[in-house]
Amino acid sequence: MKPGVWHRLDVVARGLFPAFSVFVLLLINLLPVSVPLLATASPALALMAVFYWSVNRPDLLTAVAAFLLGLLQDLLMGLPLGVSSLVLLLVQTGSASQGRFFHNKPFSVMWWGFALVAIPAFLVQWLLSSALIEAFLPIKATIISYVLTAALFPIVAWALARAQNSLLRYV
Amino acid sequence: MAQHGGPQQRIFSPLRTALHRFAFILLIFTAFGLMLLGKADTVLIERIRAASADLVSPVMNVISRPAASINELTDKIYNLAHLYEENERLRRENQQLLAWQQAARNLSHENVRLRELARYTNPPALHLVTSRVIADMGGAYAHSVMISAGSRDGVAKGQAVISDEGLVGRVAEAGYQASRVLLITDINSRVPVIVENSRDRAFLSGDNTNRPLLTFLTADAAVAPGDRILTSGHGGAFPPGIPIGVVSSVSENAVRVAPLFRRHQLEYLRVADYGLQGILSEKRIRESQSPVNHNDTQLSPDIPMGVGVVPENPAPENAPATSNAPSNGANP
Repeated sequence: MKPGVWHRLDVVARGLFPAFSVFVLLLINLLPVSVPLLATASPALALMAVFYWSVNRPDLLTAVAAFLLGLLQDLLMGLPLGVSSLVLLLVQTGSASQGRFFHNKPFSVMWWGFALVAIPAFLVQWLLSSALIEAFLPIKATIISYVLTAALFPIVAWALARAQNSLLRYV
Repeated sequence: MAQHGGPQQRIFSPLRTALHRFAFILLIFTAFGLMLLGKADTVLIERIRAASADLVSPVMNVISRPAASINELTDKIYNLAHLYEENERLRRENQQLLAWQQAARNLSHENVRLRELARYTNPPALHLVTSRVIADMGGAYAHSVMISAGSRDGVAKGQAVISDEGLVGRVAEAGYQASRVLLITDINSRVPVIVENSRDRAFLSGDNTNRPLLTFLTADAAVAPGDRILTSGHGGAFPPGIPIGVVSSVSENAVRVAPLFRRHQLEYLRVADYGLQGILSEKRIRESQSPVNHNDTQLSPDIPMGVGVVPENPAPENAPATSNAPSNGANP
């Protein structure tokens, strides 16, 4: 049986899901939350999703997609332009090349891997942002942000794994 | 894949790897290029930022509503738990406010009479736009919020944004239906302020913490914790007298101010158009960027001797100005 137009459209739409999920997480990151701690330091949800997809489906979240999503993050959050693009691009490329290491390992290994990858990611973001703003940004908020990101990774990874199992099994 | 592919794949596989590597390097250079562009051309970047805010604002407008109702619910639970203390506090505050109301009435009557006496011209009428906070760019790198009002509603770059408590920030970029507000705690924010009691002038400089710094304070300034900080109105960016915060700590090298608003509870904000041009108008920024001397008058840049010296006796019209200069200087 020859695959029809709708089938192909379906495959393309499913293939776009990883990038779309990062976009949705970006918007969730922007929601005003009335928790005092989150107003000063928020978890980097997009970073988690980019790591997750680069490890599990690097074919669906390409370097270009990571770059563009980072650019969108910079534009929306009022950050210096190009910094998040660079960080997400580096995370995507680095994790995609090491993705095989995490296959068939328990989840805790991936969690540790993410906690390790997030350290240079946050450092680069902090250093470049500070350099472009020409003043040292408070490192305390960055550290809180990192801890939140590392701690909340399992929740995001669980949700993305559910979506991956139901939407991307045959793609 | 490559080991059991045909000859085509044996050729294309390394080619694809090379292409990937080239794309990666290209993207890295693009990122650095963007950083440079962001530093150099602020007007273009600003337009793109405003457009991207417009792009996501319909979505944020919808999904921030459930978030707001969840926040409301947690607030309600918190309020129920603290009902008694809150009531006591409000009772005390009400007593104080009644006393202030009396004082304010007396003063406003007196003020009206004094204005009549002094023929005081009223400042321009205030145009307020109320809008909802639809996004909070929380994080370690930027302190700003997005509001659901843009140039459609009369919001423009540089306008003051105030909450019930006091100044929150200014409009950094105004899109068509959404704008980004730079909070006074952001590292890029500078507000000319005045200390309420001592009238000392200073700048309130954000540093991405919750307690912005009071900078350019004179050495003999008398500032103590608890002093109120108001906008001074210098530079024409903000109107004078908007409350901003209270001095929270004074140490040898830093005076920090606690803003009056609580960031995690910002829900509705008012954008105030005072009819002030502000120091941030694009026209002025462009003027400051291109200090090119066109020399339209075609005169030599050197000022001839004696120009600007008023001769005591009106000289004949065809006499050169330089000849008068020595005699004028010699006269007592």
